[in-house]
Amino acid sequence: MKIDETITNTVKKLVMDITSLPEDKLTETAKFVEELGVDSMMALEIVAATEKKFRVVIPEEEIAKTRSIGDIYRLLEKLLK
Amino acid sequence: MDELKNNVAVITGGARGIGKACCFAFAREGAHIAFTYNSSEKEAAALKNDLGKLGVKAVAIKTNVRDFAQCKKTIEITLAELGRLDILVNNAGIIRDKALAMMELDDWKDVIDTNLGGTFNICRAAIYTLFKQKNGCIINIGSVSGITGLPRQVNYSAAKAGIIGLTKSLAKEVAQYGIRVNCVCPGFIQTDMIGGMKEEMKESFLKAIPLKRFGKTEEVADLCVYLASSKAGYITGEVIKIDGGMAI
Repeated sequence: MKIDETITNTVKKLVMDITSLPEDKLTETAKFVEELGVDSMMALEIVAATEKKFRVVIPEEEIAKTRSIGDIYRLLEKLLK
Repeated sequence: MDELKNNVAVITGGARGIGKACCFAFAREGAHIAFTYNSSEKEAAALKNDLGKLGVKAVAIKTNVRDFAQCKKTIEITLAELGRLDILVNNAGIIRDKALAMMELDDWKDVIDTNLGGTFNICRAAIYTLFKQKNGCIINIGSVSGITGLPRQVNYSAAKAGIIGLTKSLAKEVAQYGIRVNCVCPGFIQTDMIGGMKEEMKESFLKAIPLKRFGKTEEVADLCVYLASSKAGYITGEVIKIDGGMAI
């Protein structure tokens, strides 16, 4: 399903809570680890928190590919019914 | 008894030796068991049956730990059949002992890929599940050979030393998520490997062991049970020798 602003805002808040990054840094393409200096374990926390918040199961093969907030949006588009 | 009641343990190389002793020891403490085997089909079937008699669920999974996809499948089967995962015992391993000058590249690769690569593969396949639970225990079976080195075992010693490094690194990485990682390093344990040795060789090894006997698989398994239990809740990143004093 196409995700709306409520969902993107929820994801942003979740990422900000975990990383303490300001909202303006969280562009769709900014890579968590390489560009935003997020620790890779923290990136894993973001994935786990997304699963919990939206009650979805992110396939393990997608975890390492989830490198930006845009990647999370795209995963949720696929996973949310 | 019941120290691990309703926990689920994955034990690699479970059909024989130390792995088999771990299966029984964990089951006696109430844990459900998923164990892997590679070629010991008959032993695996018998073990599954015997574990069932102890009143726990048991799953036997044919797995080549060198193959990440198979390790991933092992964890998926465990979660599907037993519902959770609490304890991981990385025991699967092989030896190809030879003097370095006689050691073929395959002898090196087989031992590194199975012992060290296999430990990585299972840890990698399981870690996200433990991470999400914020709880779990990993026990890697190392060896005294990985601490002191032993002649004709450059491949095995290197793999086991690698497992010690993996253990310490992972322990630091995941401690904040409630996951403990420890390494048990047996010396000479009474397994098929020792059973097949010539008497004079056994005698020479015994001379190097202050307690003057080979260890029992059950003694290693009991240590693993302790490390998996809440009694060891403050122990992580440790490398514990169980070798009759051999590496003092």
